[in-house]
Amino acid sequence: MSQTELRAVPLGDSAVMIVLGKERSTELLNRVHATAATLAVKKLPDVHDIVPAYLGVAVFYDSLHASYGEMSAKLLEVCERGSDSTDASANLREHEIPVTYDGPDLADVSAACGLSPEEVVARHSGRRYSVDLLGFVPGFGYLSELDPSLRLPRLAQPRPRVSAGSVAIAGAQTAVYPLDTPGGWHIIGRTDTQMFDPERDPPSLLRAGDTVRFVPVQ
Amino acid sequence: MDGFALRALNAIVGNALGSPALEWALGGGTLTFQGDCIMAIGGARARATLGGQTIPPFTTCYARAGEQLIVEQLTAGRFLYIAFSGGIDVPEILGSRSTYLPGHFGGYSGRLIAHDDSLLLGPRPASTPSEGFACPPELLPRYESSAVRITRGPHADLFDDVAWRTLTETEFTVSTASDRTGYKLKGQLVTHAAGDLPSDPGCQGAIQVPGDGTPIVLMADAPTVGGYPKIAVVAEADLPIFAQRSPGAAVRFQLVTIEQSQRALRHRSSDLYTIGATGAASA
Repeated sequence: MSQTELRAVPLGDSAVMIVLGKERSTELLNRVHATAATLAVKKLPDVHDIVPAYLGVAVFYDSLHASYGEMSAKLLEVCERGSDSTDASANLREHEIPVTYDGPDLADVSAACGLSPEEVVARHSGRRYSVDLLGFVPGFGYLSELDPSLRLPRLAQPRPRVSAGSVAIAGAQTAVYPLDTPGGWHIIGRTDTQMFDPERDPPSLLRAGDTVRFVPVQ
Repeated sequence: MDGFALRALNAIVGNALGSPALEWALGGGTLTFQGDCIMAIGGARARATLGGQTIPPFTTCYARAGEQLIVEQLTAGRFLYIAFSGGIDVPEILGSRSTYLPGHFGGYSGRLIAHDDSLLLGPRPASTPSEGFACPPELLPRYESSAVRITRGPHADLFDDVAWRTLTETEFTVSTASDRTGYKLKGQLVTHAAGDLPSDPGCQGAIQVPGDGTPIVLMADAPTVGGYPKIAVVAEADLPIFAQRSPGAAVRFQLVTIEQSQRALRHRSSDLYTIGATGAASA
């Protein structure tokens, strides 16, 4: 990929969005994670948060001490120099999450996909997922990619409340709800694993770039 | 929501600017003091009394043990702040002492304050300001104004001239569908053909536009990422004004450059410094 795609745009007064590409891809996501890791290692002055997503990284900074012009120039320089030398995989972890597959949508998912519930469970737990990014609520990891036979659109009517620990699927992604929140994904199971604990360090179990496997429990 | 009111009130009661204070929305209520302290209210306009006397906004008051602060009604704006010298003593979680209601953590046991709760105050600051110190009004945001400055957002280029003219030349009103997560705006539709995008980082004040053309301004409890295109971002200097707009209140957006917006923010910050310094001098 050419370096010309690297550009900075303001995200309000106190964040710079470093854009690395236009189209979502695994290759781009890897570069995003490498760039986020490079920036995290650098610990640049006035930078207080780094948020990786699909097409780039948002860097939140203290705009009372650094102007947008200064900050964006410094970030672009670091990203241009550093992105291929950093080993972003060094800190990544693998998680095994035990799941009881008895979710309220399991029967509907099974019917919609034309598979038995056992087969849905086998296909969901039969692969390794990567954490694309964290978002929505604290500790919510967007995991990909789901088996093509399990991909369904979101629920037409989102639930006003999905319990923490619900394991759900939508489109090409799967996730565990870390908190009781509204939600529009199909719930196929539940786990006791605590995805987010404000008293833990770090509080989120998952980090962008980690891998996850779901292990069925009886 | 209104970070300026919080900081300015902390400044005049002698606290560090980010000290925990009460954010008060909707109806009235009563606080009873169990000890003496200096306190101040501000942000939304409110009819409030302390020990039976009406108290003015952004002005230090001396509350004595046994006295009651009665907030009768919020008369304009939507978030009233009440700061106490010493700040409210709640634990720091993830670098913050504020309450995150969706996650049930932070602040006072991760929940709203309820009837019969007791709030402890932290140690009194070294120099406690005197009673009756008022924040100079020219240093406060112009809460009565409907003008809100914005800068171009990360997806500004996905919107055409018509969409931009709608955003910057027509009036919007804040919808009743507005809370700490986001404020939906009513008005002409800001149309675009961008569709949904791969989830992208947002920030407080980001104006995102779903496919139906109804802009939503992300507020304090908004998710960190989202898939709707962000046409613009509210200038941080004007976020307090915007946050205090009640449902039905008008908003007019004025496009400024990021340099102008950051300059306005530094100006606000130096105003806060001035408020704190004058308050300390009155001690």
